[in-house]
Amino acid sequence: MLDSFSRSAARRARRQYVGLMFRFMGHALEAISRFDKTVIDEARGMPDGLVFQMTVLPSGPALAIEHTGDGVLRYLGSRYDGPVDLSIRFKHLAHAFLVLSFQEKTVEAFANDRMVVDGDIALAVRMTRILNRLEAIILPRLIARRAIKEYPAELGLLEKLPGAIGVYRRVAFSMIRDLRKEALSQ
Amino acid sequence: MSRYYEFFCPVKVIAGEAALEHLPYELTSIASVRPMIVTDAGVRAAGLLEPVIAACTESDVTFAAIYDEVPPDSSTTTVREIANLYRQQQCDAIIAIGGGSSIDTAKAVNILVSEGGDDIAAYSGAGVLTRPLRPFFVVPTTAGTGSEVTSVAVIADTERSVKLPFTSSFLLPNAAIIDPRMTLTLPPHITAATAMDALTHATEAYTCLARNPLSDAYATAAIKKIGRSLLAVMDNPDDVQGRLDLAEASTMAGIAFSNSMVGLVHSLGHATGAICHLPHGLCMSLYLPYVLEYNLEDIREPLSELLLYLEGPEVWAATPASRRAETTISAVRHLRDELHHRCELPRTLRETGKVKQSQLDNIARQALDDGSIIYNPREASLKDVRSLLEKAWG
Ligand SMILES: [Zn+2]
Repeated sequence: MLDSFSRSAARRARRQYVGLMFRFMGHALEAISRFDKTVIDEARGMPDGLVFQMTVLPSGPALAIEHTGDGVLRYLGSRYDGPVDLSIRFKHLAHAFLVLSFQEKTVEAFANDRMVVDGDIALAVRMTRILNRLEAIILPRLIARRAIKEYPAELGLLEKLPGAIGVYRRVAFSMIRDLRKEALSQ
Repeated sequence: MSRYYEFFCPVKVIAGEAALEHLPYELTSIASVRPMIVTDAGVRAAGLLEPVIAACTESDVTFAAIYDEVPPDSSTTTVREIANLYRQQQCDAIIAIGGGSSIDTAKAVNILVSEGGDDIAAYSGAGVLTRPLRPFFVVPTTAGTGSEVTSVAVIADTERSVKLPFTSSFLLPNAAIIDPRMTLTLPPHITAATAMDALTHATEAYTCLARNPLSDAYATAAIKKIGRSLLAVMDNPDDVQGRLDLAEASTMAGIAFSNSMVGLVHSLGHATGAICHLPHGLCMSLYLPYVLEYNLEDIREPLSELLLYLEGPEVWAATPASRRAETTISAVRHLRDELHHRCELPRTLRETGKVKQSQLDNIARQALDDGSIIYNPREASLKDVRSLLEKAWG
């Protein structure tokens, strides 16, 4: 009884963690596309108005972002249900958890058939590079090494620290704003 | 090595001497009475349709339609045309005879005639198909692409000038018929280039991120056959056993890479093929050693193991363990030199005479966006790819 209770609590916690990480990544992508040249250059290669969604089958959580043009990414929230141009769908919440808790690299998840890609593969590859860059910048080096194939050699502390602090500050602001909005609307 | 993997290959392989004569039995056993052949003019001109038709008529199986004009770069228009012919003639099975283009075209035709409609683009992408298609058989006439065991097809949409990818396990044929008669007349430079494609499929399957124990077994078996038979066939094109070895190697390499994917050699090859219009197999041969060198420190162990399959136990045993990976790369280079000597298969971009140095930047950028780069062990940057191309230039 207690056992099954704690198991379902663990499952709920895992779902909440994935949802929270998606939300964090959404805000972080928006923030990083305002100042990181690598991300901006990559994002510029995507069509204006492209909507990318990362989600967990069968029904979420999810993260949607839009390339509004000129390399700028906009977080569309966790409940976006409009048309999507490119999607990466995890087959199961457990798989999303493995990736988002840095136990499995994004490319490993691809190699392990953990997700289904729908849309232009070239754009999916580009999006993966953006996500890798995000992780390299915001995660401590030790954790980032577990999350991405190769830690960028040119990414020194000087570039990383202000970048990470910038992302965290912006993300903190917008996440608090989001949570407040949600609390008010409930 | 993956902690988790998937492996799938439901294709019946019918291979060896008098394999074609099994086709009528296969057709009758699924109650097909009006099969259709999809092929190209080259196959017909090479007289490769005759043995198939003869084998079937002798068993009272006749073809309701034969389409023999699949172009080298097949398009949505061709697919629509063939689907219409299939419907007009009320066919009930498709037999693709040819190389990558005929096979991909037939896969797409099968989608239209099974799912209905005229718009093949509507089925493009991954996981769009949800149920089995019509009976489908493949008789490869080249030994390289492995398309007879892969669940993808690429068709050009000429009106919108894009390439439409189709991915679904329902695209796989019921059976692949591998008969050495079908590759016996393959000209030397095509024999060489397509075998190098198969070698690349197996090598990348064995050294890239999605490798798994089952695909490893197919990859090593394929490399062993290529190592043993490629030069023998080049010296003696009528070597039936050697031809069968190469055809089987191609199918095994196809099974390997369709389950564990390919890497940077293919990213570069796809980009070069699209920009400079070089044949796929040639591109593979051009880039293979350079990419192995680039990946070396990440693939030292599997690459060392491949020496055993490529060069045999004597060479493997005589090479110190610490030099085996490098020796594998030298063996690949040596193989390319021998092929160059026998049929002038280019070894560098310069030797092709069809690539301009000014195109390298473009090739690098396009390669970076190719899907297979995801599975390459090293994270290749634009700078990495550019300097690799410089080396491959010669
Ligand atoms: Zn290939």
